Amino acid sequence: MTIAIASPDAIVIRNVVKRFKKNTIRREYTTLKSEIVRWLRGKRDADGKSMIEALRGVDLVVPRGKTVGVIGRNGSGKSTLLKLITGIYSPTSGTIDIHGRISALLDLGAGFHPDFSGRENILINGIILGMSRTEIRDRMDEIIAFSELGEFIDEPVRTYSSGMYMRLAFSVATHVDPDILIIDEILAVGDEHFGKKSLAKMTEFKRAGKTIVIVTHDLGTLERWCDLGAWIDAGRIREFGPPAEVIRSYRRAVALAEQQGMVMDAPALAPGGGALPSLVPPARPALSLGLDSVLLTRRDGTAVESVDTEDGLELRVAFTAREAVADLGFGVELKRADGTVAYRTNTFVEGVPLNVEAAGSGTVRLLIDRLGLTAGAYSFSVTVCGKEGRKLETSESTCSFQVRSGVADEGVTRPPHRWVVEGAGARVSPVRTVGA
Amino acid sequence: MIRNLRELYQYRGLLLSLTQRELKARYRNSVLGFLWTFLNPTLQMVVYSLLFTVYMRQKIESYTYFVFVGLLPWIWFSTSLLAGASSISDRRDLLTKVRFPAQVLPATIIATNLINYLLSLPLMVLLGVFQGRYPTWHIVAFPVVLLTQLCVTMALVYLVSALNVTFRDLQQIIGNLLTMWFFVTPVFYMANTIPPEFHTLLVLGNPMAVMTTSYQAIFYEHRLPDPGPLALWMAISLVLLWVATNIFERRREEFAEFV
Repeated sequence: MTIAIASPDAIVIRNVVKRFKKNTIRREYTTLKSEIVRWLRGKRDADGKSMIEALRGVDLVVPRGKTVGVIGRNGSGKSTLLKLITGIYSPTSGTIDIHGRISALLDLGAGFHPDFSGRENILINGIILGMSRTEIRDRMDEIIAFSELGEFIDEPVRTYSSGMYMRLAFSVATHVDPDILIIDEILAVGDEHFGKKSLAKMTEFKRAGKTIVIVTHDLGTLERWCDLGAWIDAGRIREFGPPAEVIRSYRRAVALAEQQGMVMDAPALAPGGGALPSLVPPARPALSLGLDSVLLTRRDGTAVESVDTEDGLELRVAFTAREAVADLGFGVELKRADGTVAYRTNTFVEGVPLNVEAAGSGTVRLLIDRLGLTAGAYSFSVTVCGKEGRKLETSESTCSFQVRSGVADEGVTRPPHRWVVEGAGARVSPVRTVGA
Repeated sequence: MIRNLRELYQYRGLLLSLTQRELKARYRNSVLGFLWTFLNPTLQMVVYSLLFTVYMRQKIESYTYFVFVGLLPWIWFSTSLLAGASSISDRRDLLTKVRFPAQVLPATIIATNLINYLLSLPLMVLLGVFQGRYPTWHIVAFPVVLLTQLCVTMALVYLVSALNVTFRDLQQIIGNLLTMWFFVTPVFYMANTIPPEFHTLLVLGNPMAVMTTSYQAIFYEHRLPDPGPLALWMAISLVLLWVATNIFERRREEFAEFV
């Protein structure tokens, strides 16, 4: 790997192929004994047969200062790619050039020793992550403050709760001050409060012009966080570009694969490569109307990612019509993260007449006075339909958001309600009213 | 080899911290602390002293001291080799999760045991003083012997740690080999009691025999060690170290995949 700061690209990956010997994946160790037995029996495996191709020729250029999200189904080669970038693995063929100091958060707490105090582990973990001793000493207080461990910092790590352990590990990892940060699905650390702090730290990294490569399964993270999305499928980069577009193609391909009843095996082992079905570009004539964006805002128009149950919301759908369209219908589906449909409606069933009289762009707004959902992760997806339900465009540009709640109630919705107790001299004071 | 050593120097902070941690871990949570390191050879020595001064009479003066002189470096060597064999294959957590200079791991084991050895030296000298054997100016040769043993140990540990990643039964084999090796090394008997027809083979062919006789020369016989065998093994160990680091370097990229 060469290190040169002048290059405009932080990471340049050219035609990288990574093969693993099959027995290492199956985790069968060779022993001297087994090797001798094999030799005595005269069996020599053909080399090519026992190889697994995890990456089959990856080209990727990550520009300096950009945040790139890598998505793809399990086993498609995401983690292998990260390990190659980090330098843990070396490519079977192809080249990887890294320009800048790299720090990887593939696993938190590498080298933590349970019998040592948090403070001692910060030192050793920091050195493992590439800091010098003086750097760590300078940042020690900052790291401890960020971890919010307080007096626990001088207790042995084995006495920590798993949340405390993760917080400590995350604090060290984010204080390395790299030029390039590699992250493998670990933003969800600790409780709500710490989660926010970590996100803020990540934002700080972005603002400081660091290059970030992040592997995630949370498409919401990709959309909100990343400047670029890379979809890796069966060991190749399938699509690289604006996150929204990459997510759309990815979702379509997964949906298509499910429709076709494709067996979701590990792609590296599947015959024929195991790639998701290729998307036939929608064979529709030029669309008469297309969706431009779907945006979730507060009632005052500011964008939101997280709202309270009792808050109101506004869903803004921007569209562009290329010609006059009669009997237009917009459909909205509100889904919880687990797939439960919380609410579904459209302008047809609600009897809202919509006609676009000339080419041009416009906005449809769905105003919600009070959300009334229980806490959790939700997403809106929007569809637009023409006459007789013929779909003009199904926009999968979903809008993910979080619902917060001050009450630990359960279910999907919270109807406006209050409690009243009567008789037997019972009295509830003060009468608590929720959502009224 | 030069690259390997340079990188080792480059990562000295890591080596230092890991060694520090190993030592601290060993002495923490125990009342006797450091004494435990010393207790182990002491007990062994008591056994041999009992065996060879009471049951099978050996005509060696200050026998306990004599055994100690050879036993301590042997423990450095054998524990390094035994622990070093699994030093790479046991650290999956480090090798697969962060970019980690693998050669630091075997080096940490050797360094930790070396420090243990050096720390027990004053006690050995004290024992000698009790038995009327004061250290003489001949200890100037001690660093040379120490360095030679360090090279031999490093070469062997690099070799076995790299091979143990692929051949996991190597560490068991090494355990057994070390037991045999111990008995052919003149630790609790004198090298001159070896029959002359085997002498060349057993003394010159066994680096640890060369080391122990050299240590015994310095601390027990109060003379300079024979330069011939020492120079021979210094040369062999350098060649061995070169081979071992080459093998280590070649396999290193596979460690993360195999461990």
